[in-house]
Amino acid sequence: MKTKLVSLLNQKINRQYIQLAFALLALAILVLGAGAPMEGGGIGF
Amino acid sequence: MAYACWQKQSYQFPTINGLWLAFVAFIPQLLAFYLPVTRTRIPDILASASLITSQVLLLAFAWTNHKLAGMWLLIGGLVLNLAVIVANGGFMPISPQAAEHLVPASVVQSMDVGDRFGFGKDVLLLPEDTHLVVLSDQFLLPDRFHYQAAFSLGDVFIASGIFWLLLRQGIPLRPLERLKCL
Repeated sequence: MKTKLVSLLNQKINRQYIQLAFALLALAILVLGAGAPMEGGGIGF
Repeated sequence: MAYACWQKQSYQFPTINGLWLAFVAFIPQLLAFYLPVTRTRIPDILASASLITSQVLLLAFAWTNHKLAGMWLLIGGLVLNLAVIVANGGFMPISPQAAEHLVPASVVQSMDVGDRFGFGKDVLLLPEDTHLVVLSDQFLLPDRFHYQAAFSLGDVFIASGIFWLLLRQGIPLRPLERLKCL
């Protein structure tokens, strides 16, 4: 059962897609952290 | 991707090095500005230190990838934002006039000059008391936009850098292409 699940995951999730997701997340973090403005200046209205 | 399709090429996402550094760099900001549980407990002095630390680490991450297209614009934006933040005590200055576009005027009037703006990265400062005022959060989105935010010249550079990075797929312009662009 476990090996079946692992092989299914290997088929479905390509390593490159995971790397791409991490790279996109890093870029989003970079923009957010570098100065993306917060809605309402972060005051919550 | 649309640009790559138009150029009849397949889209190749740029290879970004040192991803871990971006995640580590963001942790102080995540705690100080984004997570409701922690941001209410962190004093302003620690929040400003978190912002500066985080931006320095993000600068290191951007420098690690400085050979990618658009990264120099992004680094420029980061440096501009960092300069104005450091020059004004650790937060990004915003004028009361700009702040009144983001929240009701009564909220701004109830605040004192020099107060931190909510749990965000901004501090309320009069333009005449602001160092490097041209680099502060002085630009506003048009009123017809549902999302209201103030942004700085550094933010414009950062957004342009990311746009260029994704458009060029991380590949810098060759000298011949640069000449054609001029």
